[in-house]
Amino acid sequence: MQHTLSNKALFKSTIIALVIAGIVLISFILPAEYNIDPTGIGAKLGLTALANPGGSATISSNQSDELNTENQQETDIIEVIVPAGRGVEYKFAMAQFKKMEYQWQTDGAALFFDLHGEPEGDTTGYYESYAIATLTEMKGSFTTPFTGVHGWYWKNTSDKPVVVKLTVGGEYSIVGLKK
Amino acid sequence: MVLSMVGLFSFNAMAHGVDESTRLFLQNNTGVQFFPFMYIGAKHMVTGYDHLLFLAGVIFFLYKSKDILLYVSMFTLGHSLTLLFGVLGDVQVNAYIIDAIIGLSVVYKGFDNLGGFERTLGFSPNAKMAVLIFGLFHGFGLATKLQEFQLAKEGLWENLIAFNIGVELGQFAALTFILLIISFWRKHHSFAQFSTASNTLLMSAGFMLIGFQLTGYFMS
Repeated sequence: MQHTLSNKALFKSTIIALVIAGIVLISFILPAEYNIDPTGIGAKLGLTALANPGGSATISSNQSDELNTENQQETDIIEVIVPAGRGVEYKFAMAQFKKMEYQWQTDGAALFFDLHGEPEGDTTGYYESYAIATLTEMKGSFTTPFTGVHGWYWKNTSDKPVVVKLTVGGEYSIVGLKK
Repeated sequence: MVLSMVGLFSFNAMAHGVDESTRLFLQNNTGVQFFPFMYIGAKHMVTGYDHLLFLAGVIFFLYKSKDILLYVSMFTLGHSLTLLFGVLGDVQVNAYIIDAIIGLSVVYKGFDNLGGFERTLGFSPNAKMAVLIFGLFHGFGLATKLQEFQLAKEGLWENLIAFNIGVELGQFAALTFILLIISFWRKHHSFAQFSTASNTLLMSAGFMLIGFQLTGYFMS
């Protein structure tokens, strides 16, 4: 043990420790980890971007010529941007035994994907996969085995963002990007 | 390529947030996986700065190798017990709370090194007991990390032992490194000068860990 500090010095040390921790937490750690940025410093330094690992998605059109569903149910064309080294999920809510026709292609790099569904109201983290592979494009359809949210997990292992153009048709409602 | 596939694969898994390659590895490899688990354990310890900060605080004022060995053994005993008990008994502890307590252990040790308990309580709590008790919490922290991977019952014991051996190896490697730095530094007159500042910073780092984990807890 070192020589004991005086009361005053000890108090000072403790306060300094708290103040430094507070400043670092509020300015750097919380913005970067949780996107909590009360001072705005995190955004200025670009730290808050770290906390938003999700990609972005835009629904560019809901009239698809490429995909003719049998009875002209809903169709959508969605562009999903998968950031470098990240995985994103894009999901649709569907009832049991409904069919979705889909096709997607990337703007270049192949992506690892896992097309799967999660039952409604499930809290265990269970999911059922319909297709897993690493591809640049895919066309097909699936029929939902249960009511819940169904869709894609894409993982981009390259060092550049990849744009996925997804065209879907069927009876669904868009849940969208899952953060 | 037209596919109509339903239920080709189904398995229980955690959210996709788990390290993908580790998750896939563990799903595709059941049974005893001694060296991979040992590696995961060692990696977790070497990169687990919260554990390392606490250890650095513990050995900061220990000069005798005998003492260092004793304290590190107390810490090892503590975290091995709860690691094994936590995983085998499937004890679910909130990771944020455990990690916040680990942060608290860092603050505690920094304050103790400053002689804070002597000054405020008039006595210093038994340091060996403190290391053992905080070691127990650190072990629960390790257990929660391991429980993120759905562990197969098959070969669980062996894998756990391997993970624990890995943790100790990682701890040993990290400790050697910390000790080298501190020993060199002690020879230098700046050590005494900066020991107050160092332990103040150690406390500060502990406070940061607490704030970081508690924020996570309230957001989850």
